[in-house]
Amino acid sequence: MLVVRPAKPADLPGLERLAGSATPRLTNLPVHRDRLEERITRSQRALAREIDFPGDESYVFVLEDLERGEVVGTATIRAQAGAQEAYYTYRQETLIHASQQLNVRREVQTLSLSHEVSEASLLCALSLDARYKGTSAESLLRRARLMFIAQYPERFAEILAVAFPGYLDADGESPFWNSVGRHFFVRGYQDINHLAGVRSKSFIAEVMPQFPLYLSLLTPPARAAIGREHPDHEVALGEMLAEGFVRSRHVDIFDAGPVIKAERERLETFRRSTWHPVRIRPAAALPDAEPAMIANQKLDGFRCVVARYALSPTGQLMLSPEHAALLGVEEGRAVLAAPLALSAGEDVFDEGEL
Amino acid sequence: MRIRPIARGDLDGLQQLAQETGVGFTSLPDNREFLASKIESAALAFEERTPVDDRLYFFVLEDEESGELAGCCAIEGQVGREVPFYHYRLGTLAHSSVQLDLHRTIDTLFLSSDHTGDAEVASLYLRPEYRGGQRNGALLSKARWLFMAQFRDRFPDKVLAEMRGVFDENGISPFWKCLGSHFFPMDFNEADRLTGMGQKSFIGELMPKFPIYTTFLPEDARACIGQVHEHTRPALEMLKKEGLRWEGYVDIFDGGPTVEAYIDDVRAVRLSTLCQVEVTANLETSERPSWLAATTGMADFRAAWVGRGPNADGTLALTEEEARRLNVGAGDSLRILET
Repeated sequence: MLVVRPAKPADLPGLERLAGSATPRLTNLPVHRDRLEERITRSQRALAREIDFPGDESYVFVLEDLERGEVVGTATIRAQAGAQEAYYTYRQETLIHASQQLNVRREVQTLSLSHEVSEASLLCALSLDARYKGTSAESLLRRARLMFIAQYPERFAEILAVAFPGYLDADGESPFWNSVGRHFFVRGYQDINHLAGVRSKSFIAEVMPQFPLYLSLLTPPARAAIGREHPDHEVALGEMLAEGFVRSRHVDIFDAGPVIKAERERLETFRRSTWHPVRIRPAAALPDAEPAMIANQKLDGFRCVVARYALSPTGQLMLSPEHAALLGVEEGRAVLAAPLALSAGEDVFDEGEL
Repeated sequence: MRIRPIARGDLDGLQQLAQETGVGFTSLPDNREFLASKIESAALAFEERTPVDDRLYFFVLEDEESGELAGCCAIEGQVGREVPFYHYRLGTLAHSSVQLDLHRTIDTLFLSSDHTGDAEVASLYLRPEYRGGQRNGALLSKARWLFMAQFRDRFPDKVLAEMRGVFDENGISPFWKCLGSHFFPMDFNEADRLTGMGQKSFIGELMPKFPIYTTFLPEDARACIGQVHEHTRPALEMLKKEGLRWEGYVDIFDGGPTVEAYIDDVRAVRLSTLCQVEVTANLETSERPSWLAATTGMADFRAAWVGRGPNADGTLALTEEEARRLNVGAGDSLRILET
């Protein structure tokens, strides 16, 4: 059985392993024991506190395979993308250069450093053991965070954002970095990304060129990489778009990976999640039903699993004793459930800009 | 040979010059109507019937024997008053972080109108058959300093000169190709032509307003920044000798340097002196002229080489031919410069 729960200090070796196996390596999940340990500590501190509005909290979750007794995935929510420091992105902008004299009108594309996403809550640092790719475990790990946010809305922003790793070529080189950042930092992409993870990304962003960049002056491969996700994250991006996220004008400052955003109330998991009292029935006696994410309503004891969305005629959610034990709920206690399947999403670009 | 203000009767001669200069000589397009208005504007300027900040002093080099025009040059009283006057200013941004062990400087091109209100020496052209030993080029270039020295109060503090940038063997400016062409929907010559006609508003409308990090430009384009066309090198050297310096401003189209100086610091302005004319027969005349003389009137301004320097008493002896050329007689004042 698989469960998503908050990370604890004993998960450190598992987190280290997942940080090392993430493709591509993630800024938010550096292969650095001290940093990862700090993250777990911060997460535990956030869960132990009473919090009325989002701030500098990070919530680190792990996916545990109970049969294996192993941590096989991790994912994080940063309550505010740029709480203490600014969260930097490049914002794609279009300027109109029109000349009455020549009767011409040109659209000039620029990338401007922006702090606009700083206020949003950021879903980040997701890494999953390759053996679980493409299974419901992947969706569970990714979206259990939404189940958590749905229960503790005061801890998070109205706007959620996800930054996807950007396009890298077969050699692991970022064409965008090579055309932009490298000029200023004289370092390779992997190198700077690691540094950003260990130190902080905004610390590096502060030394980025502050003026907007004209797209026409970038190399064609760099331009093609803008807003394009890493090939390994195509499916993940698709799922989040189906969830209700929309592409924004923002891209990552290092690799130009897409930043997607959503008002949380518009996400399927929020709209379709429902509270149900629990009825415990033997596993064999449960009717067949579509899979759903089921979460308990405990803060530091948060648990989210995938189980069948089997409802009794009176609206009670029927759980096996094993699942009930895992969630720590007794008969009659309420759990939050949301269907695992998403209606086909459409890939829309948010012109309205959240 | 002598320099004089252009006159209303010079239209045919000027158009012939315009045809010869061809593409790349921004300020002298082959457009009769435009040239006629240029002459008219210059005539009004020399008659001091227009305000000092809106004057184009346009001179011709004339072969007084044949009446043929051999070349031209001009002084713009103040640039950027009627239409904006743009440059890129080559700047440096320090890019450094102790924690990252990073210290670099990044060159940037900032759009600027810093030269608004400065005077400009421009439009110098000498027909090929008049080039060579007689220092006609120097006469065209330097007569302007005597004019500015004489009428110093009509000019602002600073003067500049825009130098032609680098073009490859196909006549393409690498700087334009890598920068301007992304923003202007036309080729270099068309952009240059419009600029020459004074129709510059499109520049402000279509130019990139944010600074350009030169590191994004290809190597050949970067190599053009502040560099002159090889044909322009002698003209640049002449201006440098007068004390004009490149301060980092470049042309927005071809990246060529703009050199500048405070007018009071220009060598020819500092060292030129006034003296009185004596007209004498049988004077020694040096082979290679080294003294430049200019009259002190504006509308009837003349400048020419003379064969000798001043006498010990400060007077300047002229041959009758020289006096005729400058249209002066005994007792008249001349501003002279050894150069």
